[in-house]
Amino acid sequence: MLETFEPYIVGFLCNWCGYAGADLAGTSRIQYPPNLRAIRLMCSGRVDPTFVLTALKRGADGVLIVGCHPGDCHYINGNFRTERRIALLKKMLSDLGLDDKRVRLEWISAGEGEKFATVVKEFVEEIRALGPNPLEGNTNET
Amino acid sequence: MKLRIAVEGLGACAGCEIAILDLHEEIVSLLQDLEIDYAPILVDKKSLNENVDVLLLSGSVRNKHDAEEAVKLSEKAKITIAFGSCASFGGISGLANLYATRELLERVYLTTESTDNKQGVLPSEEVPALEQFVKPLKEWIKINYNIPGCPPQPKLVKEMFQMLLTGKPVTLSKKTVCDECDLKREEKKITRILRWGEGEPDSSRCLLEQGYFCAGPATRAGCEAKCPAALMPCRGCMGPPENVTDQGAKMVSAIASVAAIDEKNRVDPEQLAAMIKDVVGSFYRFTLPSSIISRKVSEEKSK
Repeated sequence: MLETFEPYIVGFLCNWCGYAGADLAGTSRIQYPPNLRAIRLMCSGRVDPTFVLTALKRGADGVLIVGCHPGDCHYINGNFRTERRIALLKKMLSDLGLDDKRVRLEWISAGEGEKFATVVKEFVEEIRALGPNPLEGNTNET
Repeated sequence: MKLRIAVEGLGACAGCEIAILDLHEEIVSLLQDLEIDYAPILVDKKSLNENVDVLLLSGSVRNKHDAEEAVKLSEKAKITIAFGSCASFGGISGLANLYATRELLERVYLTTESTDNKQGVLPSEEVPALEQFVKPLKEWIKINYNIPGCPPQPKLVKEMFQMLLTGKPVTLSKKTVCDECDLKREEKKITRILRWGEGEPDSSRCLLEQGYFCAGPATRAGCEAKCPAALMPCRGCMGPPENVTDQGAKMVSAIASVAAIDEKNRVDPEQLAAMIKDVVGSFYRFTLPSSIISRKVSEEKSK
């Protein structure tokens, strides 16, 4: 293990809430750790579990998915699907030996820049405590 | 000259070999153009010494002997076909990837309820050692074609032989089992997930919409949806459909898409997940070794 472990986090942010929230955090100059690589999608419902699995397989230490608050989805019910999908995916990941805390789903509105920064800060620390992704480098031995 | 074929089962149940016989009378006419030279289950010949045109390998590489056999036999053939889901994706025995080799041996030889092994001896002599993981056959040898199915359907087996004789390529269906299924699909709002055997399924409606765990949406078509037609939920033996890399991920999406989300019946996400007893075993029943995360890992080691 490296002396200082810097978590690599992939974030899937929905266009209408999560990404706008991140934007607000930026324009408000709220500081948060640079470990998050944000990917903008039109809706958190677009997050295919394959994206999360692939991110983890390619070495992401954590995956953050941000959508609109329940009931606020721009596409009416995309985030309800996401919620069920991620719950199932987390169960599957923990059965595969990964800590399900490596995947986190959050609801952050366009007005919650402060919350966005807090969530990223928290998540980075949580992953830092968990350590590097055991899948990395394919040296995964049971 | 007849096309010479060798068939060998590695870590398998011999069902794929029997699937060749499922061609029934048609096999008689096929045998005019091809010759099954070596097939331990079907013809009486102990070893393959000469070269053949085509090698059909079924089963997964589970132990050192399988690995050696796969390499040795494929060197003798011009074309190697992964025959059946075990050979194509890793198959049922691929679920062993959820356990360490030691755990497997201890369970099988020491702790099963019917075991009588007071000395606690694990087999070590005259049996090949297990490989640490099950990997799809293509990671061991060069595979020219995959013929999925548990076992491959007679229609597909026939197409495969015709491809070998005439050069007309086998086309696997690009659709899913649901596209071929005749059961009626209506509203998608399930509030509970049932295992087969719980309650009595309605014989006209989609099993998934009735709450039965059916892998149809995440499985390649080609079987004419025989299982759901007999009210047996699909288990996913044909592997993922076209353009889907991970059958389990597709299944996660499918279950989330049929779950009730209207205000009245909305099912709690955690509860929904808890209703599936064995997520990995159900979602990746045949494809764990060829999925994105192909085996169980340990968080402990990273610390």
